[in-house]
Amino acid sequence: MIYGDRKTGIIVTGATGRQGEYHIGLMNEYARQVGGRGVVAGVTPKKGGQTIHGVSVYNTVKEALAEQDAAAAVVFVPGGAAADSIMEAADAGLELVVAITEHVPVHDTMKAIAYAEMQGCAVIGPNCPGFLSPGAVKMGIMPAGLFSQGHVGVISRSGTLTYEVVDELTRAGIGQSTVVGIGGDPVIGQTFADVLEQFAEDPETKAVVLIGEVGGNLEAEGAKSTDVPLVAYIAGVSAPPDKRMGHAGAIVEGGESDARSKIAKLKKMDIPVAARPSEIPDLIRDLFRCHC
Amino acid sequence: MKLLEYEAKQLFAKEGIRVPKGILAGKHEEILLHMDEITGNVVVKAQVDVGGRGKAGGILMADRDTVIETARQLFSTTIKGVPVQRVLIEERLDIQHEYYVSITIDRAKKQPVILFAEAGGMDIEETAQKKEDAIRSINFSPLLPDVPGFLLRELCGNAPAEIQKTVNQLYHVFCKKDALLAEINPLVTTPDGVYAADAKLIIDDNSLVRQGIAVNRDLTEREREAEKFGFSFVQLDGTIGVIGNGAGLTMATLDLIEYYGGKAADFLDVGGGADSERVMHAVHLVAGVPSVKVIVVNLLGGITRCDEVARGIIAAGVSVPVIVRIAGTNAEEGRRLLSEKGYEMLDTMDHVVRKAVEVTG
Repeated sequence: MIYGDRKTGIIVTGATGRQGEYHIGLMNEYARQVGGRGVVAGVTPKKGGQTIHGVSVYNTVKEALAEQDAAAAVVFVPGGAAADSIMEAADAGLELVVAITEHVPVHDTMKAIAYAEMQGCAVIGPNCPGFLSPGAVKMGIMPAGLFSQGHVGVISRSGTLTYEVVDELTRAGIGQSTVVGIGGDPVIGQTFADVLEQFAEDPETKAVVLIGEVGGNLEAEGAKSTDVPLVAYIAGVSAPPDKRMGHAGAIVEGGESDARSKIAKLKKMDIPVAARPSEIPDLIRDLFRCHC
Repeated sequence: MKLLEYEAKQLFAKEGIRVPKGILAGKHEEILLHMDEITGNVVVKAQVDVGGRGKAGGILMADRDTVIETARQLFSTTIKGVPVQRVLIEERLDIQHEYYVSITIDRAKKQPVILFAEAGGMDIEETAQKKEDAIRSINFSPLLPDVPGFLLRELCGNAPAEIQKTVNQLYHVFCKKDALLAEINPLVTTPDGVYAADAKLIIDDNSLVRQGIAVNRDLTEREREAEKFGFSFVQLDGTIGVIGNGAGLTMATLDLIEYYGGKAADFLDVGGGADSERVMHAVHLVAGVPSVKVIVVNLLGGITRCDEVARGIIAAGVSVPVIVRIAGTNAEEGRRLLSEKGYEMLDTMDHVVRKAVEVTG
């Protein structure tokens, strides 16, 4: 279990929007099932004083923290204002911000993450589904019904593809310790390497599934950085070659970032790579067999 | 979205970067109106979004006597298949030296990165591969409003001081315009000072609205239509239509089709939180792709609700067979609705894809 537990109080920003409201309900339904604290406050500027699913809404994160005990925020604030909300949460002293919002301008993301890190606050996302530790805590939008408790960690750049893999694992009787969606944007807060560092310290986690996509180079970077036993799946083998962003992109990323090159890199590190999501449970079983 | 050279140069000039005097023309006749501005030698440059434009014949030398004929020649050709709709006629610079400068985002460091080469011009990528130390790079906190002086000195080495100033101005363009890439290649020194001889600027698609750009020109008309509904859509040439949610799962569905020996007709990601109306439009859009024989719907509900998905599929009511796999949020209700209407449903991604490959032979 990483990034939080049953005792973690959560603040939701963008609480009065359609998605914010809907997911406060689902997060707290999960918290009730597992005996956790769940969402303790909502924040939307100028909407303070309302309640949503029994949760008090405040104008600012600071106002919320004056009355409620919380350590993390989940951001549902839309694109152009999401970065501001991340910085507000970090500035108020929260340790963790999970940014669900899609379509955040990448310059905003860069600044907000740099600012949050300066305040000692870790950011997961943006454009991510958050994380879920079965039986303990859910921060974000993952559909809890697919999960089961166990000892395999999952880190993914995708949302729905994560659920697919979790579904395959659960059906195969392989439970999960924590499942983290790190987001698919070019710039994200917690990377594969950061989450793997957390998993390495987590006694509940015995192996980790990395789910990657075309673009960037963070899967291999992460895999290189850890001793945790890994299994990987990379989506996009059939994708037409990505339009490159001029010459600079290719030079900066130091080589190819298409799915086949990534798979080759991981296999070179002796990491088993699944050709289909449904092969992942067998690869995990093989892994445990050789580590027994 | 990629800007054309003349658009990028206008934005660079606003930040104080010197660009050559130029005339933009959409027809060769338009040049006649500007003949008194053309005195010496000029360069006629096709305004097309094509890499390697110079080598492909998109940049021609001319003078006052030959400029109209040269422009006419460009208007009547295509550059790597792209028709020339505009040309930029620029004074020919007295170039002493060519540099390369490019600003982009370093995903791993989560910071802006600036690349600089003493030897700019064509073949910069080749140069980078052959001589690793030919390109210097710096990166720094995105919270800084300017490139720090010590880094500029490190980056630009022995280049004239005006080059450093230009790099910092380019960084201002990069930030103000929400750019993913701002590049000058070549950045040249002349007896009159430093000029951006070429210009490249790519704007973050997530920032088009606040940059006042209403239409993303990089998308085809069909893709733009799809974008209105919040879809990412790419038309392909196979027979199996695909509707998924989330880029990763949709991509994985396409990979699986290839794995089982089928060919996908499209990539359609309905995006997060699609309601029944959006799903209905998605089904119509994919059913409208001429090569489609069967549609695979592969959706895992998180922010998207499966009952909404089911209602959308039913409302679309297309004649092409639709095979459905839905799981996650409200999946039971979705499956109940679909089974009432007799839709074929399978419970895993492997099963729906295998079935679709069988159906299409």
